[in-house]
Amino acid sequence: MKKNAKYMMDIVPGIVIALFSLWYLSMVPGIKTFTGMGSTPLTNHFVPYLWGGALLVLGLWILIRGIRKRAAFVKAGGTIEKFDLKKGIDEKREVILSFVILALYVGLMGPVGFVPMTILYLFAQILILTPTNKWKRTYVPALIVALICACLFYYLFRYKLNVLLPQGILKNFGL
Amino acid sequence: MLLEGLMAVLQPFTIILIAIGTVVGIIFGSIPGLTATMAIVMFLPATYSMSASQGISMLMALYIGGISGGLISAILLNIPGTPSSVATCFDGKPMADKGEAGKALGTGVVFSFFGTLIGIAVLIVLTPVLCDFALKFQAYEYCALAVFSLSMVIALTGRDMPKGLVSAVLGALLATVGLAPIDSKPRFTFDLFQLNNGFALLVLLIGLFAISEVMAYAEGVRKDQSFTVDNNAKIKGAGFSLKEGIAQIPNCIISALIGVGIGILPGIGGGVSCMISYTVSKNISKHPQLYGTGIMDGVVASESANNGTIGGAMIPLLALGIPGDACTAMLLGGLQVHNVAPGPLIYEKSGAVVYAIFFAMVIAAIFMMLFMLLGMRFFVSVLKVPKNYLLPVVLVLCAIGAIGNANMLFDTYCMVGFGLMSYLMIKSKIPTVPMILGFILGPTFETNLRRVSQLASSDKFWSHPIFCVLMIATILVVIFSTRANLKEAKRAEAEEANS
Repeated sequence: MKKNAKYMMDIVPGIVIALFSLWYLSMVPGIKTFTGMGSTPLTNHFVPYLWGGALLVLGLWILIRGIRKRAAFVKAGGTIEKFDLKKGIDEKREVILSFVILALYVGLMGPVGFVPMTILYLFAQILILTPTNKWKRTYVPALIVALICACLFYYLFRYKLNVLLPQGILKNFGL
Repeated sequence: MLLEGLMAVLQPFTIILIAIGTVVGIIFGSIPGLTATMAIVMFLPATYSMSASQGISMLMALYIGGISGGLISAILLNIPGTPSSVATCFDGKPMADKGEAGKALGTGVVFSFFGTLIGIAVLIVLTPVLCDFALKFQAYEYCALAVFSLSMVIALTGRDMPKGLVSAVLGALLATVGLAPIDSKPRFTFDLFQLNNGFALLVLLIGLFAISEVMAYAEGVRKDQSFTVDNNAKIKGAGFSLKEGIAQIPNCIISALIGVGIGILPGIGGGVSCMISYTVSKNISKHPQLYGTGIMDGVVASESANNGTIGGAMIPLLALGIPGDACTAMLLGGLQVHNVAPGPLIYEKSGAVVYAIFFAMVIAAIFMMLFMLLGMRFFVSVLKVPKNYLLPVVLVLCAIGAIGNANMLFDTYCMVGFGLMSYLMIKSKIPTVPMILGFILGPTFETNLRRVSQLASSDKFWSHPIFCVLMIATILVVIFSTRANLKEAKRAEAEEANS
């Protein structure tokens, strides 16, 4: 790990957590409360305020800790490297692609259907998790696994275990 | 009645039903996304035409198999099959990575069996006494119990306490989504009806553990990582020696009793019991620093506790008719379908069926151990399946589990969202496990805190000794855990400075 990444592990999450807690706290006043007979002295705002406040304090704690670490790092003569976004994306290419295809899989499963989307997803995900130099040998087994799993799971869960897996375009074929 | 119950269970057909139920339960428990509750829901209609003893015996077998099966994927894939096996991952997976998957599975199976037996023994012997005790738990006590359990997070966080606390608070914060307790006003639902019931624990669990496991593997694709885990060690017997097993007996008894205690209290469940017993086991151990590195003790603590919870959860169900979680709520439905009315008079009205349930639980526990030990070589062979094929297939099963949870596609969107959140948390060195505790205990804390606020004017806290004891225990846990964590953090800092 790069030396300066250690304080970034505190600064970035600290900022994100603090901002998220502020957004969360700003939403609390908009919650409708019940004030009629039998209402509790502590309304449904209290606990969200409690958790939101606690998260804000913790976020600031982590942020301040990170800033102190950074100051100590600079004082010790360390050089701060600039974050290279392009390099960062390239390093995490497989992770980003995995998230994108997973999001597409669940997003399109409703309109397209479980079987076609599962075949596409499994095929793509297996390839992403395989080093590119081994792709040639992976195409056929990946396709077979994708086809068998998609059809087997659909039949088993939809028709035997009554899980409402989306039919999508299969509806047109009466499946 | 006792003999009548025994004879009902010892019928060949009933034994076959228990065997089938146990196998199906293990399968449901071992697949991430499918739970014991789903298995019971799916098989409940199949029991309509059976006699009460047969039907309920099968449901009990599904319950025991379902809770126990979760350890398989927790150990082999680092993805807990059920919320009850979250803590099994902590030491189970490192053991599998060291080539001791067989030993980890054997330990989990055998001590799940003993945990179940201890739970059943307590259920049979102490039901009336423990029911009286459980009835003493009202708003004050539940509130204090939630605070006490949340304080365990500090012990779970290790050297970075603020980040562990962030995780727990985030979990509690996620649990505020949906209809508020007591007044049922919507909170943070953004007018989406799918969020009215809040997020499902199962969906959160899949996002936190299954997706992050795939992403962790994806990160190493370009590095020279192996597709499979090396596991050539031959498995003898249960995978561990008699001496090792005997050394774990105190750990097993303590953890199972914690499991029983938590099981008795409605709304807490196996997910919390495994983590609390793991923390307790770590704190009282002579070698706490080895926890999380792949030792038997961690697996024993988690598995004895979650199976002990089964016996505990049955106590209020049978004696008071109060289901503690979704699983026991389904069992309550099963009892009612078969004209068994749980409550203080259950022994008088349906004594034979109650004893049949006890015997069925014992037989199901024996079958569970037998089937899982026999299947151990097969389970371990899962590690031989290349991970680039295995993980995507597991993720598809998880998506099916998320859809099946409430038959809503929306839950898969949440699953991906939680997966992304989990990945970012792991990258920021924020532990994800405390989030589960916060998520489970947050609603219990809020509901009872608001009830306490209503009661406080007429019912003072000092008239609740259990509340006072739990609050004192909380203070002690916070002080000692914080001290231990600070020591650990200082030691780590010194090590870092030296290196």
